[in-house]
Amino acid sequence: MVTALPPNTLAETPDLLAVLRERFPQDVLETTRRPGLLGRVVLRPEAILPVCRYLRDEQTFAHCAMVGGVDWKETREVVYHLWSDERKGYLELSLRVPAEDPHVESVAGLWPGANWHEREAWDLLGIRFDHHPDLRRLFLPEGYEFHPLLKTFELHEPEPLEVKTRHE
Amino acid sequence: MSEMWINMGPQHPMTHGLWNLRVKVDGELVVDCEPELGYLHRGIEKISEYRRYNEVITLMDRCCYVAGLSWEHVYLMASEEALGVSVPPRAEYLRVMCSELQRLASHLMWYAAFVQDLGLMTPFLYGMRDRDLILDLLQSFTGARMTYEYMRVGGVRNDIPVGFTDRCRKVMDWLEARFREYEDLCDKSDIFLKRTVGIGVLKARECIADGVTGPMLRSAGVPRDIRKDRPYSVYEEIDFDIALHDGADVFGRYRVRMEEMRQSLRIVRQTLDYLDRSPGRVLSERIPRFVGAPSPPPGSESYILRRAYPKGVGFSAIEEPHGEALAYVVNEGAEQPYRVKFRSPVLINISAVKDYLIGYRVSDIPAIMGSVDVCVGECDR
Repeated sequence: MVTALPPNTLAETPDLLAVLRERFPQDVLETTRRPGLLGRVVLRPEAILPVCRYLRDEQTFAHCAMVGGVDWKETREVVYHLWSDERKGYLELSLRVPAEDPHVESVAGLWPGANWHEREAWDLLGIRFDHHPDLRRLFLPEGYEFHPLLKTFELHEPEPLEVKTRHE
Repeated sequence: MSEMWINMGPQHPMTHGLWNLRVKVDGELVVDCEPELGYLHRGIEKISEYRRYNEVITLMDRCCYVAGLSWEHVYLMASEEALGVSVPPRAEYLRVMCSELQRLASHLMWYAAFVQDLGLMTPFLYGMRDRDLILDLLQSFTGARMTYEYMRVGGVRNDIPVGFTDRCRKVMDWLEARFREYEDLCDKSDIFLKRTVGIGVLKARECIADGVTGPMLRSAGVPRDIRKDRPYSVYEEIDFDIALHDGADVFGRYRVRMEEMRQSLRIVRQTLDYLDRSPGRVLSERIPRFVGAPSPPPGSESYILRRAYPKGVGFSAIEEPHGEALAYVVNEGAEQPYRVKFRSPVLINISAVKDYLIGYRVSDIPAIMGSVDVCVGECDR
């Protein structure tokens, strides 16, 4: 059995995505429907702040649930999950920044709750958030030179133990 | 009076884990604070990229040591979406039962630790004693008391033993009677009320802006519960209420958790009824081979037969004992996930600490931070 989906989210999905496409024709690059989500919206990185402000103020997305990143080697993806109490669902925003200079405008000014999510993404993935109130490392010490969730940071597995039995 | 910074942590009875709360005090008054985390950062998200899907489950138990099964659940729901695996209904009921037993164990652990922080020793012993009954139940079918490794991609490892449902019902009845005793101990204690009512207030508007979730949010009167709002697993078929309070203070959080435990009893009883009347598979028949088994050597027959699995992205949300937990899993067709990302509710609840700690007294800090229910394992990951 596949995880049950709330019935109301699917009914409202095309509506919200169409509104976003109409409102930001240049900035919304792609919209897809995904089960379990209100939708997935791919944005131009420069547009994140106006789109988020619109979603928060006019589309009831009052809760920024998660900001995370994925390292795709040439680019780095920043993924936002926003929650609306009225729509009872998550909206996924995604944008890609070049790996040479990964930076995007911070949304911590809109949702104070995004502050530590962005600090975590900076700490582990090296994505800079411009105009962030306090962009320090969250888990690793200041001055640590690596961002460990990057694919270039290789994890060295311990050598497998050679177990010898008595009869060998 | 002159102000000064005090380190509460990394080793401090208030922290319940390994983190540091720096507070700036003016006499007894807290005027500023600064949490420092990372003492327990083990890089679970990084290690997950080097483990097969089923091997990550081991890490999930270490994510939160009081709610391992909840973290297994959120991780597996996202992985199953990414891999395109479905779960048989009986396994879904077993998972919900596990999650709710885990919520009971977690809240009882919280109750024991929190009330002891306030100086009441008896409830600590009561809470730990009754949590042990739940650990006994979990041990009887998972084989472990804290690190269960029970759920699997596509279901759960094994079914419950014969006679388990009756034993579980007995424990639920026992706990229901105990909860009244707990409440008598606390609600009628002047010391408890003086230290909790009106302390650590975080109103609904601030909760939402700061991203605070879970019992802290519901104690401010916001009826947000992922189990109700976006029912996952089989929660849609289960009857229960959202625990609410309007105090927005430490006392409100205590009341919400007590009520949530009662609701968990209701949910567990309903899942037990289902498990009694509907036998069936607990592990899906169609699971990609590579999720757990070690790779066969190159050149061998099964190595050649192993097809690449379709790519996909999985996202899941659950109501963990501490709040809203999310998982985001990217599957690039390899044996290991390409990226695993979690949202820890405790991390974000701590990030709002300035809003509910400043202005109170140093002696209130254990009560306030206790009511947040800090679990550093999932916070630092």
